[in-house]
Amino acid sequence: MRPVGFSTTPNLVLRLPMWRSRLMLFLLFFVFMLLLIRAFWIQGPGNAFYEAKGVRGTQRELELSASRGKILDRNGQVIATSLEAKSVIAYNDTVPDDLSAEKVKALANLLQISETELRKKLKEERKQIFLKRQVDPAVAQQIKQLEIPGIGLNNEYRRFYPEGEAMAHVVGFTNVNDKGQEGMELSREKDLAARPGQRRVVVDRLGRVVEEMAILQLPQNGKDLNLSIDSKIQFLAYNAVKSAVETHHARAGGAVVLDTQTGEILALANYPSYNPNDRKYLTGEQLRNRVLTDTFEPGSTMKPITVSLSLEKGQVQPNTQMAIGAKYLVGPKPITDTHPYGTLTVAQIIQKSSNIGTAKLAMNTTPQEMWDLYTAAGFGQAPKIGFPGAVAGTLHPHKKWVPSDQARIAFGYGISASLFQVARAYTIFARDGELVPLTIERSPEFKAGTPVISAKTAIEMRSMLESVTEPGGTAIKAQAEGFRVGGKTGTAHKLVGKGYGNKYRAYFVGLAPISAPRIVVAVMIDEPTGGSHYGGDVAAPVFSTIVSETLHTLNVLPDAKVKQMVLQDKTPEEIRAANAQAQHVVLKR
Amino acid sequence: MNRATLTLLTLLLICALSLVAAQQRARKLFIAQERAQIEERKLNQEWLRLEYEQRNLSKSARIRDVARNQLRMSPISPERTLYLRELK
Repeated sequence: MRPVGFSTTPNLVLRLPMWRSRLMLFLLFFVFMLLLIRAFWIQGPGNAFYEAKGVRGTQRELELSASRGKILDRNGQVIATSLEAKSVIAYNDTVPDDLSAEKVKALANLLQISETELRKKLKEERKQIFLKRQVDPAVAQQIKQLEIPGIGLNNEYRRFYPEGEAMAHVVGFTNVNDKGQEGMELSREKDLAARPGQRRVVVDRLGRVVEEMAILQLPQNGKDLNLSIDSKIQFLAYNAVKSAVETHHARAGGAVVLDTQTGEILALANYPSYNPNDRKYLTGEQLRNRVLTDTFEPGSTMKPITVSLSLEKGQVQPNTQMAIGAKYLVGPKPITDTHPYGTLTVAQIIQKSSNIGTAKLAMNTTPQEMWDLYTAAGFGQAPKIGFPGAVAGTLHPHKKWVPSDQARIAFGYGISASLFQVARAYTIFARDGELVPLTIERSPEFKAGTPVISAKTAIEMRSMLESVTEPGGTAIKAQAEGFRVGGKTGTAHKLVGKGYGNKYRAYFVGLAPISAPRIVVAVMIDEPTGGSHYGGDVAAPVFSTIVSETLHTLNVLPDAKVKQMVLQDKTPEEIRAANAQAQHVVLKR
Repeated sequence: MNRATLTLLTLLLICALSLVAAQQRARKLFIAQERAQIEERKLNQEWLRLEYEQRNLSKSARIRDVARNQLRMSPISPERTLYLRELK
């Protein structure tokens, strides 16, 4: 017998079927393949999902805040600025239902709302709700210290207007989202608006920023805006109008002050006004910028323009005598004057404000000539000063005028304009016949104007306008201390329904100082009641106050004779001695 | 292992460590910069607030009240004004 080794004994030979091992091998291979494919998928095409998940955990996009531009007056004084404020937000699903009464009370107190109102807000269905916007940062800090879960604070800005009522119509205001709604805030929204930026950052587990990935958009602060308005002049004009409206129990009033050399608007005041800092009052009639948006029949303030046409054509001289009479019949209704005059010189027609005289002069010119002059002086066209709502008024085409229209338009009826337009027209007398382009943005350089009438006519008209404020004129009350002034009164019947009722508007438009006009001031008082309603009694005193205070502010040397109570034209030594003496007097007191 | 390998290995280690150090430094600087930026914003806001406060104190209405009521001043009038001419 052949020896057989133990390991090779045939009895021990396993007879496993070959297919089982093959299957095993295949299965292993298959699973590994699956793993490989999965790994490939995760690394390659299916990666985006995981990447997004990773980014969400570590990266955030944060806003880079930017603030709205400031509005400054001509001297760089702030008249509108944005300060940081907080909005208080409640995330209602996070705020606990069993919030202690004490905390609710404290929060309601800080938010200045009632407890019941606060509880109602916290019960609302919405996920998040503004409890209050534009909260003072100090108050917001106190709210934070209450540590109520689900009450959050967001950064935002709040607009402040230090000049309040006096400047309200010029500056306007913004809404709660810092967007301009009225005035310059609206018309210069594009420049003033802030453009917040955005950046992507990496944060750690606790949400702290550890690295900046990229700035997606650079934040852009709004541009500052420099207005031509002088806060001081604006304030005094506003106060003068306000006190006149109150004294004469009038409905409203307005005034505008123009610099004749630079064409800058120094003041633009309206009353009634509103406080732009308080959102409660930002609706209603008080928002109206009457100086620019209300049109009226300019009445007698139109006469100097009409008369300058006759002077310009050489038909009359200032001292030409004219027969006036008690009535002048053009069309169905006769034209009358408040007092009948026999004869007047052309200068006296302006001084006494004669309707008949003006109409007679106008009837010697053609409608086209009148229309051309009025248009050149800016009537019938909206002033282009970039102010929302500035109106054009109406000046009908001259071809439609019948003779009675022509005669009445000559003294300011049947034509309408805003106070601003009338003031603008008067720059032709202040500037030797040139209409000055006006601006509300600071630009303190001399501006060339458009010639409308000759310098000779303008100078003649200035002295006629001065005579209005002298004894025998209609506006002695327009005289300003220290300065020679000139101007024209206007008292217009207001159109009520289809006819003229018993309501009036009183105006005064003038220039000062007459020797070298620096400013044009126009004043309008709407519906004065109780006492006189004439421009010379109601509006002229306002003009006087504004002129003397404005010219002091602008450092203009008085051109009228005043009785001096101090030493003039002295040597520096004498002035020093006088000063020393003055101080001595003060010290003694 | 010869000398060249050892040198390279050491160099590699040094590089790796300095990278970590640099990263750490960058983070620290970044945090400092963030803080400085927040501070800048705060100071800017503070400046705006102070400017507003100063404006509030110097607004025309307040000056008039203080001048009239507290200091008992009256508006200037030409007859009591000494006009000085600039020497040219």
